Amino acid sequence: MTTTRRAVVNGISAAALAAPAALSSRSARAQASSIVIAGSVPLTGGQAGTGRFFNNGYKLAVDRINQMGGVDVGGKKYTFDLKLFDDASDPARARTLIQRQVDDGVRLFLGSYGSNIVLPTVAVVERAGGVMVQAGGGADAIYTQGYKSVFNINPRASLQFISIAKYFGSLTPKIKTLTVITANNSFSKAYSEGAIAACKAAGIDLLEHHQLPEQVTDSSSVLTAIRGNQPDLLLVNVNEQNSMLIARQMIASGTNAKLLEYFALGPQLSDYRKALGRYANGMTCGINWDQNNSFQDKYFGPASNFLDAHRKAFGDDFSWEAAIAATCIIVYAEALTRAGSLDPLALRETLREISIPETLYGAVKFTKDGDGDPNVMGTKVFQVQNGEIAVLIPEDKVKAKINYPIVPWRERS
Amino acid sequence: MTSILQPTADGLMLGGVFALSAIGFSLIYGVLHVVNLTHGVTILLGAYLSFSLAEEFGLDPIVAIPIVMAILFVVGYAYQRFLIQRVHGGRSVFPTLLLTFAVALIVKNLLIVHYSSSAKVITPRYAFDSLSLGPVHVDVVRLAALAISLVLLLALTIVLKRTSFGRIMRATAQEEIGARLCGVNVRHVYALTFAISAAFAAAAGTVLGIALPFSPEQEGIWTCYAFIVVVLGGVGSPAGALVGGCLLGLITTFSAAYIGAPFSNALMFLMLVVMLVARPNGIFGDAFKGSR
Repeated sequence: MTTTRRAVVNGISAAALAAPAALSSRSARAQASSIVIAGSVPLTGGQAGTGRFFNNGYKLAVDRINQMGGVDVGGKKYTFDLKLFDDASDPARARTLIQRQVDDGVRLFLGSYGSNIVLPTVAVVERAGGVMVQAGGGADAIYTQGYKSVFNINPRASLQFISIAKYFGSLTPKIKTLTVITANNSFSKAYSEGAIAACKAAGIDLLEHHQLPEQVTDSSSVLTAIRGNQPDLLLVNVNEQNSMLIARQMIASGTNAKLLEYFALGPQLSDYRKALGRYANGMTCGINWDQNNSFQDKYFGPASNFLDAHRKAFGDDFSWEAAIAATCIIVYAEALTRAGSLDPLALRETLREISIPETLYGAVKFTKDGDGDPNVMGTKVFQVQNGEIAVLIPEDKVKAKINYPIVPWRERS
Repeated sequence: MTSILQPTADGLMLGGVFALSAIGFSLIYGVLHVVNLTHGVTILLGAYLSFSLAEEFGLDPIVAIPIVMAILFVVGYAYQRFLIQRVHGGRSVFPTLLLTFAVALIVKNLLIVHYSSSAKVITPRYAFDSLSLGPVHVDVVRLAALAISLVLLLALTIVLKRTSFGRIMRATAQEEIGARLCGVNVRHVYALTFAISAAFAAAAGTVLGIALPFSPEQEGIWTCYAFIVVVLGGVGSPAGALVGGCLLGLITTFSAAYIGAPFSNALMFLMLVVMLVARPNGIFGDAFKGSR
């Protein structure tokens, strides 16, 4: 048999044509064994301080699950393929990023941080028939518009204070009056309204409710009013940066609550506690996760292991938001296994009914509207003691005792 | 009476920070007719430098002011000579606008990489001290911020009015060709203007850092505040910056006290619109060519 030059050329041409098809087929097979989960996170912009912990938590959980062989869906193993993009804390940019992922065929999403960012992205996911498991959007507006696609690891904003108000209401001497400082944004407003209602139910009456703009340069006028009408409990519900400004001005001006101060955000960050030094001692704050809790799951084991893994991957800087973000991935893994299908609509139904007795974060159960069940996933409260976080509830499971009533700023050590 | 005195004191102290933060922006626009969008990030560079000096060497921020001013003086000079000068001088303002916008974005992201996006604050020993003047409470850090601002603005006024360099700078601002014909090295004057502005922005950053928490994301808002102060007070004069800054501070505190804090930004921009319509040159606004 002789091989002509024409035959060689034809052979090479055929091989050249076939190669991309073969590669494409291999690529398709590779893609078929992975599940794409996409989302945006604020790595720059106003929410970046906390947003990076969401990024860390998502990555850590996906890496861990993939290292352990992935998730079993209908008898087949899949790994997660995580696609996260920086939305720069910009709702419009986040919406565009999610829409682009939808156009690429992605249907499973994670949430950004900040209700104003999450809300418009939920609308995109809902229209596309997708699913979003998230923990960064707590405003009530996300759960009262009939969306079927969104699931939050936290209760909605107006329900987050219920467990804390019950605890504050049980303290002796009895807290009778409350003053609230709220930032002018949808989450803070809903949170404060919920807190006021929860406190009223716990026998704590509202004295004053002050509102501040999102960017605060001076809180003196509000603090002057508070000094003139001193409440038993002061609730400061603003972002970390404004919280630091208000705390400093409170200390400098000697503005004290009679019995207790609660800062919704700020004291959970080590930089914040360091900046306030001894004055931070006695502040209380909400917390959704603590490394000393007794929860564990099949991916990270005890909660403290998660903290170790985070430190190994990202250094010492840590905030509990990383754990809650990781829990979003763990919930996806559990729901996909239970659904036995990659169909997002089937996954929605599974998530709506799901009840996971224990994860890294504790039990997980959603309300019919998609937010976390406040009876199962209520916010805890901690107090800064000796510069560290001391979790105060549930009282039967923690060792720390509250320093109460707190002493005025000047007497703190 | 306290209801008037307290917001007045708070507004004036906040105004000192606004005034010092705006003077560099005002000078550059007055002399070079450049809208410097790197101004906010230069203020933050000053804040972060002072923060690092305090954290690493325990240096009091007030003592650190001359150091950060000297560092950013050099940076400002080089920035103008090697970057701004290359695109400055044409009829359009867009090349400098785009260049400064791009540099601001780059520096902001470098700050995020190095310091993280979390808010920082400089905490000197007296950070939590206050004085009581009758019924009025005054934070020591804000009082210090006002005092530093007044001293530096006075020093700049003396430089601009009483020194030969000040006369050269004003002459260059008023008539560039005339200054060239008189033998003035205009490029050098432009670079020195940028250097002085950067040094004052650095001082403003330090003052800001002891009075307020700061983060890289705020660079835009501090450029915006500088713009409002310049519109209110007028271009190119320290007195204009001081009046504009104090006016902005008083608007912030009085609107918070009597209308509601959420409305302070709305009132601030309403005042901006009113000034642009009624007196576009600002209260002291005829010092340099930028306002002509």
